[in-house]
Amino acid sequence: MNFSTRLNIFLRSFFLQTGWNYMKFQNLGLTFVMMPFLKEVYRDDKDALPSVLQRYLEIFNTQPVMASFCFGALAKQEEAVAKAESLTKFKEKVTEWSSIKKGLSITTASIGDRLFWGTLKPLTLLLALLAWLMLGVNFFELELPQHIPLAYAISAGALAFFAFNAVSLFVKWQGIRISYDADEKSCFGLTRFDWNKTIYNAKRFGIVLAVGMILFGIYHYLKDLQDIDVHFVARAIVVLFCVMISFVTRKLRIPNMYLYLAAVAVFNIVCYL
Amino acid sequence: MTPEIFALCVFAALLELDTTYAFQLTFSRGIIAAPLMALITGDVMAGIQVGVFTELLFADVNPLGGILPPSAVVCSAVSLAMHAMGIELCFAFFFGVVGAILFSLAEKLVRKNRFKWLIFWEQKIIKKPSAVNRAVLLALGTSFLMNFILIFVFAWVCGQFMLWLLPFIPAKAYLACRFAYLIVPWIGLATLVPAFRLKAR
Repeated sequence: MNFSTRLNIFLRSFFLQTGWNYMKFQNLGLTFVMMPFLKEVYRDDKDALPSVLQRYLEIFNTQPVMASFCFGALAKQEEAVAKAESLTKFKEKVTEWSSIKKGLSITTASIGDRLFWGTLKPLTLLLALLAWLMLGVNFFELELPQHIPLAYAISAGALAFFAFNAVSLFVKWQGIRISYDADEKSCFGLTRFDWNKTIYNAKRFGIVLAVGMILFGIYHYLKDLQDIDVHFVARAIVVLFCVMISFVTRKLRIPNMYLYLAAVAVFNIVCYL
Repeated sequence: MTPEIFALCVFAALLELDTTYAFQLTFSRGIIAAPLMALITGDVMAGIQVGVFTELLFADVNPLGGILPPSAVVCSAVSLAMHAMGIELCFAFFFGVVGAILFSLAEKLVRKNRFKWLIFWEQKIIKKPSAVNRAVLLALGTSFLMNFILIFVFAWVCGQFMLWLLPFIPAKAYLACRFAYLIVPWIGLATLVPAFRLKAR
């Protein structure tokens, strides 16, 4: 695969989820991403393209960043399909292509969900929160200061943005190349990285940041406190009570947003009693 | 409805595309989208607070498989638009969360029904492969339009309703909403600690 085709796939991969639907998921996106490559492979056999596209328009679903591993592996296998010399060989290669598509999409989705949504997203959120607190932007306070430097306001979000995208764009770009060059033995390049160790280390770092963040929040509340008054105690009790409730709702798989909506209703009732 | 709120809704509709349909560069995250949107309304600190609270509140719902989390962009946009109309953040945020939940329900409905439209485009793509570009462009265009209409209408209706209701809201209700708003970052942070459980290895 030459550089321009790889770049084309990379740029088009940003639209993988366009047309996402509950019947075939990312099928339209996959066809869009692979189109320049397919046009190149079937340049001399344009009549073959409709039947090829039918395969690409079948069900496909994976994690959008890790999908790059699928693109490279599918491109490699598509070349083998296009070069098949007999009908038997062709059918064999098409079956292999389908099993690669199905198997790899499940594996990459599993890794991607744990790495990007389960670890990197909350980790970069904590990084941003810590950055804001260190810059003196106290978002815990309901009475907001009106003037803060614009750079302070943007910098923490930018930190989260660049930290997340440095990893995701690296994986996206390298994934296409590695999976195209690798074979089935190395699981199309997936075994080149120790994903479990990466996730484990990131989570270990994350738990330190999360605990640090909570301590930092408590410190922010306590540092200016001259003497504990009734308002502070009331606020502390309410917060602690709701945090305890959130542990219970998590066990019941009730999202926090419903806890917040319930809190609005309950506090209103309590205020009127 | 001022031009700045109109511009905010257009910008929010664009940012919302980043959630699923285009890029996924995390522009649609609360901590990034809300401060950017707040640059339009002029209250950057409110943008930071809404962004942080939104992200922390929705941190326990991830887009795994077909799960559709509530939209952080919609929540931030509705909250900031209502705040720009002169409504307190503790009230505006409540409508923002409700708007985000309703938006994800509407989005789910669209995704369920999109396959009818998709079957038509699949036939076209098979006949003429370059039609895939038009299909993608059309999908992006319709998504943007749907985002804009839903955000704009919801923010406008809720804003007007709250402006009408504001003189009748007693101090007790204000206090209750402030207390509920106060707990948001703490329940969010309490969610983040278990998110880093070391079960993988």
